[in-house]
Amino acid sequence: MTVEDEIEIMGQRMNDKIRKIFGRSLHIREVDAGSCNACEVEVNSLSNPIYDIERFGLHIVASPRHADMLLVTGSVTRNMELALLKTYNATPSPKLVAAMGSCACNGGIFGETYASGGGVDKFIPVDVYIPGCPPRPQAVIFGIMVVLDKLEQKIGKKEV
Amino acid sequence: MFEIIKKTLQTGCQTTKYPQTPDFAPQGFRGKPEFIAEKCTYCADCVKVCPAGVIWLSEKSGEKTLSLSCCGCIFCGRCEEVCKPGAIKLTQEYELSAKKKEDLISSIGRKL
Repeated sequence: MTVEDEIEIMGQRMNDKIRKIFGRSLHIREVDAGSCNACEVEVNSLSNPIYDIERFGLHIVASPRHADMLLVTGSVTRNMELALLKTYNATPSPKLVAAMGSCACNGGIFGETYASGGGVDKFIPVDVYIPGCPPRPQAVIFGIMVVLDKLEQKIGKKEV
Repeated sequence: MFEIIKKTLQTGCQTTKYPQTPDFAPQGFRGKPEFIAEKCTYCADCVKVCPAGVIWLSEKSGEKTLSLSCCGCIFCGRCEEVCKPGAIKLTQEYELSAKKKEDLISSIGRKL
């Protein structure tokens, strides 16, 4: 079997997964917790005609109360800390959290200082880390695929 | 009006078929950094220059270990620039998502 065949099979498996799990849909709320706006531009391009995540039933919504998943960008600055916690508490369970970008993963070049929190996982539990500065839109789609296994587990266990 | 419709039809569908078919990053894209274990001299030049501080060298009972965490890496390529033996290269791999931070760490070691 060549490498190309393997990639083809992997793509097919991913497609099955999308159909099976996104039979309904996943709603995403994007939270800017002190990002430089590069990640926001990539999130914007997710819904343009080229990447078009709406074809999988993924929607970007305007309120955390409508959302199943929070897509957090930025290193959680002191001013955005409370806003992030409020958003997390307003999201209905079972909920997922994706840390998008290097800053959200562990602080990135800002690190942990008096103004920068140094990563989303210091404040709220994170389900998937999407590294990249900023990650490509394809990488974000891949991150959502990775997190879906976790969603199945959460629904199975009826975790709060 | 006719011109616009003509242009739309000529353009066709531009949406990527990404998850079904693999999408390769363009030439020059900076993705996951990888070590080449045979070439590395453990001089720790990359540790000094890394702006995000995600490369570290640890020594335990005579064995040196050089580790890199993609979690926090900004893919600037500075480590590749300063490495004299050319033991670190930025690949075009971008699918790096993981559920745990530990899965994003890659390391090489050698007994000296």
